[in-house]
Amino acid sequence: MGPSSTSHAGTGKLIPPFPPQTQLDGLLAGAGYKVRSSDLHHVAQRLESLESAMVSSPSHVVSHLASDTVHYNPADLVSWVDSLLSELTHSHHHPSNPSSSSSSSSTSPPSRPLPVDLDDLFSVPSAAINWVQSEMPLSQQPPPPPPPQQLTVVTTMEEDSGIRLVHALMTCAELVQRGDLHLAGALVDEMTALLTSINTECGIGKVAGYFIDALSRRIVGAGSVPAPPHETEILYHHFYETSPYLKFAHFTANQAILEAFEGYDCVHVIDFSLMHGLQWPALIQALALRPGGPPLLRLTGIGPPSPDGRDTLREIGLGLAEVARSVNVRFAFRGVAASRLEDVKPWMLQVNPNEALAVNSIMQLHKLLGPDPTPIESVLSWIRGLNPKIVTLVEQEVNHNQTGFLDRFTEALYYYSTVFDSLEAACQIQPDKALAEMYLQMEICNIVCYEGAARVERHEPLPKWRDRFNRAGFRPLHLGSNAFNQASMLLMLFSTEGYSVEENEGCLRLGWHSRPLIAASAWQASPGPLPMGADDYWNDD
Amino acid sequence: MAGSNEVNVNESKRVVPLNTWVLISNFKLAYNLLRRSDGTFNRDLAEYLDRKVPANTIPVGGVLSFDHVDRSTGLLNRVYLRAPESGGQAAAAAPWGFKELEKPLSCTSVVPVIVFFHGGSFTHSSANSAIYDTLCRRLVTFCGAAVVSVNYRRSPEHRYPCAYDDGWAALKWVTSRPWLHSGTENNSKVHVYLAGDSSGGNICHHVAVRAAEAGVEVLGNILLQPMFGGQKRTESEARFDGKYFVTVRDRDWYWRAYLPEGEDRDHPACNPFGPRGRSLDDLVGKFPRSLVVVPGLDLVQDWQLAYVEGLRKSGLDAKLLYLKEATIGFFFLPNNDHFYTLMEEIKSFVSPRCDSLQKA
Repeated sequence: MGPSSTSHAGTGKLIPPFPPQTQLDGLLAGAGYKVRSSDLHHVAQRLESLESAMVSSPSHVVSHLASDTVHYNPADLVSWVDSLLSELTHSHHHPSNPSSSSSSSSTSPPSRPLPVDLDDLFSVPSAAINWVQSEMPLSQQPPPPPPPQQLTVVTTMEEDSGIRLVHALMTCAELVQRGDLHLAGALVDEMTALLTSINTECGIGKVAGYFIDALSRRIVGAGSVPAPPHETEILYHHFYETSPYLKFAHFTANQAILEAFEGYDCVHVIDFSLMHGLQWPALIQALALRPGGPPLLRLTGIGPPSPDGRDTLREIGLGLAEVARSVNVRFAFRGVAASRLEDVKPWMLQVNPNEALAVNSIMQLHKLLGPDPTPIESVLSWIRGLNPKIVTLVEQEVNHNQTGFLDRFTEALYYYSTVFDSLEAACQIQPDKALAEMYLQMEICNIVCYEGAARVERHEPLPKWRDRFNRAGFRPLHLGSNAFNQASMLLMLFSTEGYSVEENEGCLRLGWHSRPLIAASAWQASPGPLPMGADDYWNDD
Repeated sequence: MAGSNEVNVNESKRVVPLNTWVLISNFKLAYNLLRRSDGTFNRDLAEYLDRKVPANTIPVGGVLSFDHVDRSTGLLNRVYLRAPESGGQAAAAAPWGFKELEKPLSCTSVVPVIVFFHGGSFTHSSANSAIYDTLCRRLVTFCGAAVVSVNYRRSPEHRYPCAYDDGWAALKWVTSRPWLHSGTENNSKVHVYLAGDSSGGNICHHVAVRAAEAGVEVLGNILLQPMFGGQKRTESEARFDGKYFVTVRDRDWYWRAYLPEGEDRDHPACNPFGPRGRSLDDLVGKFPRSLVVVPGLDLVQDWQLAYVEGLRKSGLDAKLLYLKEATIGFFFLPNNDHFYTLMEEIKSFVSPRCDSLQKA
């Protein structure tokens, strides 16, 4: 490693350190590109070749590069340029077949995009009236930390009262962290009074109310009453309807799963939180339309046990089976009831080594980041042991897992301000919006009021998940411009401007006005020996 | 000649460092893919390829940033501030720089505020593009200024005059922020400068005209390789066409995408001192003094030089910084002399001296 210090000569120039061969070019990194210094000549050459090729290709071929080619990870210049070059070369050899060609990046060929018609996405027929005979009988099984954070102030702090309120919230949180609950309580009264002088319909006033409430519960020691799972699902559903976040998650994950399943006749999806199964009709329909016909699809849905002897999981499964039947997709469903994800054991999932497996986790894995012994590593380990073709991960893009209360509180305040702002703009329908906000309020309360095992909303941002997945024996599967385009199209269906999708190292992040709020990524098993413990699945338990 | 398809990679490679060549060539090729011959633009792919970075109120390299979004228009401004001195009382009280929003930047000295308009020929890039986020941070560091980067609406979706409207709105917003004031009690105000590269430079000019006509004080204009043009073809356009990353054809495309449909390049937005332009002598004393930076290898330079002439003919103060061996985009990476020369010039340009707008 070369000398890492820089020196200021009298002229005010910075003398750059001599970079080691494997180092990234630091200046290009500042421009958002990852290129090794030692690769610069190579990339330059490839750029020249690409330009020559573009200049000498007929214009329809060049425009195909823009419209039909799937682009992957633009930050990795080497692979981006190479993939364009191979597209062009392929087109030269097969001029009559401008569509799908292999790209030199490690990801799968482009595939049929998912339908964007929202009605298609959400049509789960009402609870199946008759039993649906499927190929396999339905059966039930008995029930299975922080780096420097990025903060963005997006709301406008124009009014004095708004600014004072935020100051008061921070001060109160600091007092709580210090254990000075008496003073903190007094401050809560002051803040409640302040609330009357600002607009609580939107912006900081709206979200401040929830945070003041959460703080006062924490101070009093009341915590919040956890909502029964059934109610949670209803609130979740409303949150789903009123904002694009969950739709984006489902859409992006489905696109990646579809691509990963190409060429396989038996596929199996494990959904870590089935809820109402809203994600799956679209995938079922896309598989139905697959060239060459649909595979046999198995879906294993994990969810909490139902009260009152009802079998909610099975009901949802029946509904999905009906969807599959209507489009002639052979389908089988299994529900796995577990109140916590860490209670799920791999043998309950009955994975067949001959099928292509997708593991889908939408805002679930962060619940495994609780205090020691933290279950996340063993869970990631058994997932790896199942040898999935793809793991789709969607998580809130924020660090709500910091040990310091004040830090966590601050992050949450700004994060949820942004989320509420976006809801405000996206949804005018009152009852729906209120229910969606209640869902978010539950998250806020959990982050602010609870500690230890009860605090399950332990959101962590992408870089931390990347670390964990890399260590657990996974490598990234890059989401490409196909998924990006469709996410953008999805956003257009929401009449508000302000939502944005960003590509970041092969992952997609959906945000509000340049503040990323939710991140979607995909992973595949790394080749090589399994990490310790990962092959326990294949041993008898 | 115009329309040449010859690839002259050897020449451009000789005059810029390799990583700069890679960066700008990458843009060039990507942009070639995005522009369609029918005048439409592949915005989705453009946004996918653009490297963006979020704002960060935690200081990095002594600079913190945050975004402000105007509720009614959706216009986003990214604000860059120098972080409070570490270890000081201000830093301890506000690790996320929040407290700065209550008090002025300084009560004892003048802190310049630069309203920055990013480039991209009116079509590409955003305030949160990595290259521009990095550039703005460097401006803060080198000049000790606060910077506000404006995320103006782009063409072809939003043509003239949207970019100017957004620039004007941003200027009004900046000048009305109490927390961007500086100076002692008698002189406490927002000491505002306008700066921009390429289309951003063009926006600076037109916003400054609006400001001068409305009596809003702008202390200086910094136009970095500003984007101007005209119907006639100039010598520099012929000489440099296609040689240093840029072609006359692509320039034409961007003007067609920005100007109102059916208009030609003598429209005053493109050619402010041309046959349809106007002299600015009625704005002497109100229009700010200008620093115009012209890269010697920019094919648009004849128009940039004509712009400087036009300012001077109107009796306005214009300093020309002509950088003989510089190509477009020389300021993206701090790996060449021109970059440091530029920073020194800007720093000295925005340094507080007598506030008079007009040299004697």
